[in-house]
Amino acid sequence: MSLKNKLNRLKPHLSVGNQQEGRSTTAKGAAAIEVPFREQWEAENVYPYFIEQDYCLLREVEYPLSQRHGHYRFQDFLTAVDTWNKQDVNHPLSASGFSSEELFFFDTETTGLGGGAGNTIFLLGYASISGDKLILRQHILPHPGAEVPLYQSFLEKVNYKTLVTYNGKSFDWPQVKTRHTLVREHVPKLPAFGHFDLFHAARRLWKHKLDRLKLSVVEKEVLGIERVDDIPGFLAPMIYFDFIESKQPDGMLGILKHNEIDILSLVSLYTHLTFQLCGVDSLQTRMETYEVGRWFASIGERQEAVKTLTKLTNNDDLTAYRAKLVLAFQAKKDRDWAKARDLFLEAAESADESLSMGACVELAKIYEHRLKNLQKAAQFCDKAIFLSKQIKGITKISSETSDEQLQKRLLRLKQKLSKFPR
Amino acid sequence: MKFKKNLAEILEDLKINEDFKKNIVTWHTIPDKQAQTVQLPDGLHPSLIDALRSKGINQLYTHQKSAYEKVSSGSSIVAVTPTASGKTLCYNLPVLQSILANPKTRALYMFPTKALAQDQKSEINEIIQAAGVNINSYTYDGDTPANIRQRVRKAGHVVITNPDMLHSAILPHHTKWVSLFENLQFVVIDELHTYRGVFGSHVANVIRRLKRICRYYGSNPVFICTSATIANPLELAETLTEAKMELIDNNGAPQGRKHFVFYNPPIVNKPLNIRRSATLEVRKIAGELLKNKIQTIVFARSRVRVEIILTYLQELVKHQLGPKSIMGYRGGYLPTERRAIEKGLRSGEIYGVVSTNALELGVDIGQLQVCIMTGYPGTISSAWQQAGRAGRRHGEALVIMVASSSPLDQYIIQNPDYFFTRSPETARINPDNLIILIDHMKCAAYELPFKMGEEFGGVGTEELLEYLTEERVLYRNGDKWFWMNDSFPAHNISLRSASQENVIIVDQSDVANVKVIGEMDRFSAMTLLHDEAIYLHQGRQFQVEKLDWDEKKAFVREVDVDYFTDANLAVQLKVLEEDKHETFSNNEIGFGDVSVRAMATIFKKIKFETHENIGSGPIHLPEEELHTNAAWISLHQTLTEMGQDRLEQGLVGAAHALNHIAPLFVMADPQDIHVIPQVKADHNEKPTIFFYDRYPGGIGLSEKIYKDMMNVFKETRSMIIRCQCEAGCPSCIGSDAINETTKKDTLKIIDTFLQTSEKDKGVPSCH
Repeated sequence: MSLKNKLNRLKPHLSVGNQQEGRSTTAKGAAAIEVPFREQWEAENVYPYFIEQDYCLLREVEYPLSQRHGHYRFQDFLTAVDTWNKQDVNHPLSASGFSSEELFFFDTETTGLGGGAGNTIFLLGYASISGDKLILRQHILPHPGAEVPLYQSFLEKVNYKTLVTYNGKSFDWPQVKTRHTLVREHVPKLPAFGHFDLFHAARRLWKHKLDRLKLSVVEKEVLGIERVDDIPGFLAPMIYFDFIESKQPDGMLGILKHNEIDILSLVSLYTHLTFQLCGVDSLQTRMETYEVGRWFASIGERQEAVKTLTKLTNNDDLTAYRAKLVLAFQAKKDRDWAKARDLFLEAAESADESLSMGACVELAKIYEHRLKNLQKAAQFCDKAIFLSKQIKGITKISSETSDEQLQKRLLRLKQKLSKFPR
Repeated sequence: MKFKKNLAEILEDLKINEDFKKNIVTWHTIPDKQAQTVQLPDGLHPSLIDALRSKGINQLYTHQKSAYEKVSSGSSIVAVTPTASGKTLCYNLPVLQSILANPKTRALYMFPTKALAQDQKSEINEIIQAAGVNINSYTYDGDTPANIRQRVRKAGHVVITNPDMLHSAILPHHTKWVSLFENLQFVVIDELHTYRGVFGSHVANVIRRLKRICRYYGSNPVFICTSATIANPLELAETLTEAKMELIDNNGAPQGRKHFVFYNPPIVNKPLNIRRSATLEVRKIAGELLKNKIQTIVFARSRVRVEIILTYLQELVKHQLGPKSIMGYRGGYLPTERRAIEKGLRSGEIYGVVSTNALELGVDIGQLQVCIMTGYPGTISSAWQQAGRAGRRHGEALVIMVASSSPLDQYIIQNPDYFFTRSPETARINPDNLIILIDHMKCAAYELPFKMGEEFGGVGTEELLEYLTEERVLYRNGDKWFWMNDSFPAHNISLRSASQENVIIVDQSDVANVKVIGEMDRFSAMTLLHDEAIYLHQGRQFQVEKLDWDEKKAFVREVDVDYFTDANLAVQLKVLEEDKHETFSNNEIGFGDVSVRAMATIFKKIKFETHENIGSGPIHLPEEELHTNAAWISLHQTLTEMGQDRLEQGLVGAAHALNHIAPLFVMADPQDIHVIPQVKADHNEKPTIFFYDRYPGGIGLSEKIYKDMMNVFKETRSMIIRCQCEAGCPSCIGSDAINETTKKDTLKIIDTFLQTSEKDKGVPSCH
């Protein structure tokens, strides 16, 4: 009996959830390969993928786009991609020019930490939109040495433009490259990808409120996702070592679940980040808005930065002053001295000494060099010195605002004043 | 003010000066040697010819040409090259030529230290620049910035690194170095002689791993080794690389006439046979030379000695020459600082350098006229290397070795023939030491899975893989073994530590500035760092306030006392397995696996000068066990006429003396090999002397002793006889000798060992 017939016969077992036909691929001689606990695997939508005399395991799950994961439904992701495409904003995370099907949410599980040839990837997981579904696939290494089927099956399936990962730039993807190098003669080349690493985005936006920026923390605190009976990631290597000894799927199923949630969370996280960056999240906190504005400022998206930060200035909290300070620096960069002066003057009014001091130093510079008002310059220099003494030992002071530098500036100003008195 | 004398006049002076002359034991003159040169090789790339010409090189020395030819024809070589013989061309020339012929060619250079790597990078870059060709050479070590690492991996034609980096950063990440490993044609191993003992045994395994990765990527590099003079360069190179080697020793570099003077300071305490301090004598001699503006290098064995001598000399010539005219030189100097010293020496602004043996390694500081050694440097090989620092290619040079009171120094200085005629020490490694081997098998398995039938090292690879599988470090699937552990094995394995767990010595004299001043292996720590022990560190006395055995820390405080401590170590040695055995008419020798169990029992406080016992105390430390290799010799007769006590004393005395001489035969520090006597050995109930390796599993030292047993005894005998003491002193049979007859008994015992074997074997040749 051919495998296909066998699988067809087993169909009733497979129709758990919303599966379609059996996905097991056949190869010559494949029937001779015994897959331990095959029935138990298949009951969990995991099917073997055969190539030559070896196999890997493949799991596929589909979700309707209406499915909710935390605060968002998967269909919100389509809105997110749409938002980027409608806006004319340059941003490292912009999906402008992509369709939603071209993004590829990716995560791996490995046998160890850090890079190195011996750190084996035993699970490659990813999700992407296909029509009106989100399809999630996981390729499982059933035993060491089965990396040819693992990467072969993986590379057959991937046909996307951009990876979306969490810390994948420095970990997951380089490790895929490393392991791929070891089997490169037997499998296709790795395609070139664009890469959105959401870890860096999360760090920018929520460093101020989260101590740790692990995905599980961000998920819980920001995306409203609760995990039930989750296996912590650090146990994954142990469970895998145990699995290859016993071949028993139970522990691995826990890891698959963990990896699945990680990947689904990436979809929600990307959606959420997009709404943050594009300013379409009505629940955005002022601090988040501020961080978004600062991000735009740092990548030179002047217009977006000003637009975002200006929303914050009409207030009297610390965030408003911080926003004014960033806007002031932006004006300085644009060499709009009058505007810069006004904004720095506003920022200097902040009750936060270090913020105010920074503004005073800038004012001293602008008055001295640009507006040629030495008196005012000296006055703000004085104030900066006073403030610097107040916060000495509490806040770290940059070299430019060190007492020594400020005194030097003041002395110079006084000399100039005595030469050119008004 | 008198006129300045030149070296020739100084030499005349020394020969007639009574004060100096009477302390000269030997004045050995080595005649000068003409350069032997040959034409530049045919087919050498025109840019390289230009580069050599621009550096004033129109011809090659014979050994450089031989190296070029052998390497070009695809042979691996080991070139034995004395100091300043232009060894770098031995590898740079063939490597650069190959890269010019095929720009895909890659070469890996390995130097034992970072400083040397930096130095060699400048050297090769000078040629590349002069040739005006497009070749990239980079150093890759812990200091390489992350942003250029990528470039080194992809585009470095010549990657210059050290074994530690190869072990922990390059090999475990080989997938990032594909272009290097696919095209690796040359592996250069400079300073080959430094890869000996535990370190060498580790490095041999790193090279096994390197070759394994090369095979995987389809390359098969040629090895180019260079070594200082040792007895067995070819053997060492072949053991280290497991490749067939050709020896190149037709040194064609010229050499000026060299005077080698052995100077023994006068005896100041006859009964104890103590001589005037070598340091003071060196100050005197070096001061005299420097006042005459004769460029001199002084070697001392410790950093402290360097400091003392340096301070004194600087003081001495401050007014005549200026303080900057004499520089210290220690390990850890930056290349720029070294360049400054080099430049100063060449321009004549610097007259003197005082150095530890850091300078022994190939760093080029130019050539000086005089070299003074403060004490015998420990091995013949390093003595010649240090001596090589003096002697320009033309003109005369003077080397003075000033002996200290230590037995080894006294032995060497009183046996000039031994020094001048004997070939230098043998460098030993044991890459199959199980502990070292298995560590590197883990690393190798991490790098690539092991295949059935694959060989790694000389002992049952498959059995070891099975062992690691049982330990759940590897996982076997079909005919392959895979790494299955979440750790990064190379991080837990240091190539340079002798024993896995050393005791750290913490100086807490200054409460506000507690610092670590050294470390010591556990075995030695039992007798040297127990509570209340007086620990000598670079000439300063420290008392151990607490030895925390569990945490492996000894807390010490500086003191000034007039005694030292001496601990009794009860050693039980049991032969576990005898691998080699020979029986003669009167004695037998053996070699095999032993278990050494040692327990420190009590310590005595012994007064300096009088050697009175002024107190004692117990030591509470657990027993330590060491599994290692040993060689032994047993007497068939029991020498009953001597009596039990005298026999025991005699054996102890012989063991003490043997312990000093044994390192002469293997390139090792005295603490690497231990000698213990047993009046009635457990395994054969005969009077026996054991030599065992101090590193678990053994590193080949006692095996060498086994092969050379009779020579070790012969040399020991002549050392004891030449010692001027009457009934034994610390310079020969040790201070434990309490009996008037001990020296005689010791000699008698040694004779008994010797007589019987010589009759059976004849005198074995040195090598």
